[in-house]
Amino acid sequence: MTAVAGRRAAPAEATLRTLAWVEARRWARHPLFLLGCALLIWGAVGIWNNLDATFNEFRVAPAFCVGVLGALVGCQLTRSMSRSTDAVAAAPADGVLRTAALCLACLVPGAVGLLWVTWLYVAAMAMPTPQSALSTADQIAVLLSGVVASVGGPLFGVMVGRWTRFPGAGLVGAVVLIGWTILGNSSLIQPASRLNDLVRLNAPYAFWTSSDNDHSHIWVAGGSPWWHLAYVVLLCGLAATAAMVHEAVGARRSRLWRILAELAGLAVVALALAVAADPTRVPL
Amino acid sequence: MTAARTVSLTGVTKRYRGTPALDSVDLAFGPGITGLLGPNGAGKTTFLRIVATVLAPDAGEVRLLGRIPDTPDRLAEVRRRLGYLPQEMGFPRGFTAFGFVDYMAVLKEWTARAPRHDEVRRVLSLVDLGDLTTKRISALSGGQRRRVALAQALLGEPELLLLDEPTTGVDPEQRVTLRQVLSRAGERSTVLLSTHQTEDVAALCDRVVVLDAGRVRFDGPVVDLVATAAGRVWLADAPDRAARASWRTGSGRHRNVGEAAPSGAELAEPTLEDAYLLLLGDRARTTAVAA
Repeated sequence: MTAVAGRRAAPAEATLRTLAWVEARRWARHPLFLLGCALLIWGAVGIWNNLDATFNEFRVAPAFCVGVLGALVGCQLTRSMSRSTDAVAAAPADGVLRTAALCLACLVPGAVGLLWVTWLYVAAMAMPTPQSALSTADQIAVLLSGVVASVGGPLFGVMVGRWTRFPGAGLVGAVVLIGWTILGNSSLIQPASRLNDLVRLNAPYAFWTSSDNDHSHIWVAGGSPWWHLAYVVLLCGLAATAAMVHEAVGARRSRLWRILAELAGLAVVALALAVAADPTRVPL
Repeated sequence: MTAARTVSLTGVTKRYRGTPALDSVDLAFGPGITGLLGPNGAGKTTFLRIVATVLAPDAGEVRLLGRIPDTPDRLAEVRRRLGYLPQEMGFPRGFTAFGFVDYMAVLKEWTARAPRHDEVRRVLSLVDLGDLTTKRISALSGGQRRRVALAQALLGEPELLLLDEPTTGVDPEQRVTLRQVLSRAGERSTVLLSTHQTEDVAALCDRVVVLDAGRVRFDGPVVDLVATAAGRVWLADAPDRAARASWRTGSGRHRNVGEAAPSGAELAEPTLEDAYLLLLGDRARTTAVAA
């Protein structure tokens, strides 16, 4: 027997780390991800001069450019090895580990979202922008939701890639994300109420201010930005766990289903707490 | 004898929508190269997928490398020691030959970068792709892609090597190179080679298993199967309608494989292909006349 054949099995953590690194590099080189980054930079240049008190355009930028496009990337990368299914299935790194590596690779778009938000925060502090009715702490929560969206979209894409087989599923997933967000946030045109906050805040990305370019009739919507942030973080956990459940078997599958149920319960609680806050809209 | 068995299947059955792909198959394999022959739909690919732990049988026991892979841990232990080349293998877009085999090496738990890259280069050189490592797979020919697929199966010199039609689309020169690679692998590993190329089996294998309709029709040394055709292969000036198979050879004469000698025929040395055609009997009845 050769030295090669006598090689010891690597611990699962080491395989996960190596595979996550490989997937992260694939992610960083994906044309749609690069397009999203380019759009982010181009958008920043384009809207910087139109900065208003709402910051809506800035906040949504990473969610759209990295998050929604990331759903397509996540789905594509997840399915990319489906052409080699049997060879991959015969390897010791099982489907749960491969899916976990893909989920970890979603930190790449997350890092881009974080960079963007950090830059925005620093730049906004330096510029004489109008005051917002949101407290500084709430501003941070709202900004961080952009970072979470830039991870959440890709995780959603990984989940869609694992659970669906039809062509264009990634695109359908991205449309669902956009549709869910638009439908939820359409409640901003309705009168302030907890029910309308529930409709708005159940979306994976929520707007917190009315947007008006002439700076009139601008107000901050009700609800708790921090509890909404906790809710969307839990949605990310749900997407990652749901993706892994698809690949798990036996006791591990049961354990993951249990975790999924617990995360779902916590998400409902976080959403309820986000909606429970005062729904009154505060004018700027 | 039992201890030397790498693969052991007992009463293995697999059905697809009620149709048996494998029907109560009992087989055992030890080190060396065994050829799997059989017509399309005979169950060869199903058999290899079960041995590769990709597919679970409906009934029966599968013992691989001394263990029954019925838990995730045991499955992983077996998979660490096997290499598998599936019959149909596509490649993800954008990968180079090196990138793909490197990705597969990570899935096979090669976590340290330098030895992994050395191993990837080694297997790509084995299949004669050492100078095409940076070329995108989409730009490679069908035969070259097949060799990339074979390279990933050879990673880590697996104790159990499962090859489903490895030489499909490979040119004759490369086929000889691959035979050398497989013959070396057969010296230390258990190699199961499913193919339609009887000449590959004749050139490489000590033992041959013929599957037909999910059942084992023959299991024994290649020479024994060839011997079954002795005295039943004839060269004649005309095709014999009573023969099981008859075709015009390059010399202009007709090779007739059958029970009785056509008039004016002379006895020919049987090949594995002749014996295989005779074994399958009516299923293989054909009259192929080359232009």
